[in-house]
Amino acid sequence: MRVVVAAAWLAAAPAHAQDSAASDTVKTENVAARLLSERIALVPGETAWLALHLAIRPGWHTYWLNPGDAGEKTEIAWTLPPGFSAGAIQWPAPQRLLEPGNIAIYGYTGTAIHLVAVRVPADAKPGERVTLAAEARWLVCEKICLPEDGKFRLTLGVQAPGSVAPVEGRWADIFDAARAALPKASPWPATFALAGKTLTLRFDGAALDAARIETIEFFPTEPGAITPAARQAVRHDAKGFTLALEAAGKAGALKTFEGVLVIKERLDSGTVTQAFAIAAAPGAAAPAAASSLSLGLALLMALAGGIILNLMPCVFPVLSMKALSFAAHGGGRRMGRHGLAYTAGVLALFAAIGAVLIAFKGMGAEIGWGFQLQEPVFVMLMAYLMFVIGLNFSGLFELGGAFAGVGGKLAGRQGLSGAFFTGALAAVVATPCTAPFMAAAIGYALAQPAPAAMAVVLALGLGMALPFLALSYSPALLRRLPKPGPWMERFRQFLAFPMYATAAWLAWVLSLQAGDGALLATLAGAILIAFGLWAWSAARNAARRGRRIAAAFAILALAGAGALVAWAERGAPARDAAAAGERWAAFDPAKLEALRREGRPVFVNFTAAWCVTCIVNEKIVLQSDAVWAAIRKKGIVAMKADWTRRDPAITRALAELGRSGVPVYAVYPPGAGAPALLPQILTESIVLTEFAAFPDRPAAQRAGQ
Amino acid sequence: MLKLLTAMLAAGAFAGSALAAGPDLGKPAPDFAAVDTNGKPVRLADFKGKLVVLEWSNHQCPYVRKHYGAGNMQKTQGVAQAMGVTWITIISSAPGEQGHVGAAEANKLTAERNAKPSHVVLDPQGKIGRLYAARVTPHMFIIGADGKLLYKGGIDSIRSSRQSDIAQAKNYVTAALGELRAGKQVADADTIAYGCTIHYRDGS
Repeated sequence: MRVVVAAAWLAAAPAHAQDSAASDTVKTENVAARLLSERIALVPGETAWLALHLAIRPGWHTYWLNPGDAGEKTEIAWTLPPGFSAGAIQWPAPQRLLEPGNIAIYGYTGTAIHLVAVRVPADAKPGERVTLAAEARWLVCEKICLPEDGKFRLTLGVQAPGSVAPVEGRWADIFDAARAALPKASPWPATFALAGKTLTLRFDGAALDAARIETIEFFPTEPGAITPAARQAVRHDAKGFTLALEAAGKAGALKTFEGVLVIKERLDSGTVTQAFAIAAAPGAAAPAAASSLSLGLALLMALAGGIILNLMPCVFPVLSMKALSFAAHGGGRRMGRHGLAYTAGVLALFAAIGAVLIAFKGMGAEIGWGFQLQEPVFVMLMAYLMFVIGLNFSGLFELGGAFAGVGGKLAGRQGLSGAFFTGALAAVVATPCTAPFMAAAIGYALAQPAPAAMAVVLALGLGMALPFLALSYSPALLRRLPKPGPWMERFRQFLAFPMYATAAWLAWVLSLQAGDGALLATLAGAILIAFGLWAWSAARNAARRGRRIAAAFAILALAGAGALVAWAERGAPARDAAAAGERWAAFDPAKLEALRREGRPVFVNFTAAWCVTCIVNEKIVLQSDAVWAAIRKKGIVAMKADWTRRDPAITRALAELGRSGVPVYAVYPPGAGAPALLPQILTESIVLTEFAAFPDRPAAQRAGQ
Repeated sequence: MLKLLTAMLAAGAFAGSALAAGPDLGKPAPDFAAVDTNGKPVRLADFKGKLVVLEWSNHQCPYVRKHYGAGNMQKTQGVAQAMGVTWITIISSAPGEQGHVGAAEANKLTAERNAKPSHVVLDPQGKIGRLYAARVTPHMFIIGADGKLLYKGGIDSIRSSRQSDIAQAKNYVTAALGELRAGKQVADADTIAYGCTIHYRDGS
């Protein structure tokens, strides 16, 4: 097979034939090289784009700007008429090729297209023919390396100033492909940090969808800062992603770290490669250090972090009440059993959270500790829980049964199950506080195989239970606690305030996530809960008839709070719509239908912040003035369907279009006709061609928009 | 407590990175034992008290040919010889790969090119090459009298296969030997080695 391919390749070009004015060919042993001009003539004062096009023998490669461990970049030396000047080679994104011996090179296989901008002087004389001469040198290697070179001459006519030179149709695809392979401006601010032998590159902005990413690779422009063959470990989190690179000798001297980031993303239409130009500034140590954390250290940190959790405003009150109830009871062997039951409760809940995390990770979802807090309903329920505990401390109501420990009842009066549930409750209450403290250890855990991940999560739980466990086994410690007395009641009332503060913080988090509607729902729900609990408490103390009435009030009030939770959940996406941007209308299927009936075409941009291709299309094409001019001229309504958070309405719309993921670009004609789907990789001309099919909208109607 | 956590994190970052590529500057260079192309045993540890230069070579590589063809490598070897430095040329090409030679052919090449190595060592298994993480030909190392690594990197500063660039380039090995003779620190001790990849045996 290879022989056939090679034969075809050999036949492709005769040795040094000038087949047209816009190209010149050189045939070497391993490369068919051509110098091409995008246009068939030159225009004074304009830039002419030329390309050195290398068709490389199968199995062989040429090199990028930074060749990696070996090799040498391709070079072009120009001989131009006076006044003409050539820019530097615009390098397409390279590939990384690995060889035995921990060696990697950066280069090209198949074809390599090197774009060069040639500036035509304003005083170039129309009607003259001008010769642009270049001598190119490239190193081409398979197992062995050969330096090769070629001399090229292009003779092109000069047209009148201000005229447009026709594009050479035969090369249009080549120039399009070359431009598509150039690194684009990066949508993510980047920073780098050196810690020991790890150079971390941090990209902030959107969290990418890790399940769709095939590879992420960074190619530094300058050699010597990283080991080219080393694995580049990627870690995704809610705020962006981090690459851990193996530092080499020159890493310490970096001022800025420049290079090209190449992301291969899986789309419905296949795998797409996107390249971004990166100039990373020095930054604080990125959170990627987790990858170089050893398991032992991670366990130790988790244990320490767990102990710290006891001091959190959301946990401390719960625990101190429990501890004081112990102290009141005196300790002894029975207390030890309670301590163990409490520990078991904490560990059970942490194990459950760990299992959920690992399961989600196994499904390819990228979540971190604290993922629960991304869900508005969970935040709302947590706010309620904090509020209820606060009310309990304030003495609005007393609990019996399983949660009695919270209420400060004597530990001896309740069973071991009470201690177990106190532990579980303490763990639940602790989760909002864990995120900032445990990010490193949990981040490490999530990058490990399941058993190690579970071990870290359990170490965290054990750390949390430890002070309490120690207390329950050591009468000496217990004796050091202050003597129980009436002050305990006042102390308990005081401890209600940290709980209220936590509830207030959670309500604020919720307002950011789901808007002020949800905030109002939460506050109204809190009042209903307070009323319900008061009524319930009253019912327990009232005579039989009063008890029924009060109980009915309590149930009604709590049901009302529950309904508000459901309502808050439905109301949540409202914020996304508002954030979709002024130029884009938020996606709304009903409005879409109405507009089409009115005779308006609608363009829907199905996108998400975690989709790399979506961002590139928006930056390069959909934000361009030409596209928006066409949208206005044709009276097209531009809608953005932001799928960053899965939205059932958008999922349905995608399914109707026969797609399961973004990006999707749908152009709905007026009326009921089938929508046209644009390719997943957009160019301006694709979009403009599609829009051109619609008639212009009269200016009078446009003004009203 | 937070401070402690931060310190632990930082310590973890260092502990996890003990695995590095090749020997570090200022650290003892890995010892190796071999038999040279004249049948003489060569052990790095035996050269304690003298400077040693290691040169990875592949006579068919355009970059090696650049430096031997222009007499630059021989000139550098001459500088080393005059200083009493031991120069060991190592060939790590695997059998069947470019640059792989037997002892007789290696000696013939030395004679033909008028080269002046103290020893030529054949390393077809790539053991010495991998020990030093040698990646290209030519890849140069200088080991001090105390057995510590003093220089690693390229022969000179211009990454090209053109002989005409040699005159403008800084020869790092000659410069380092000169600095060491004068009792100075090596200024450019860690440079970028350029050339052809070494054709190691697969795997192992």
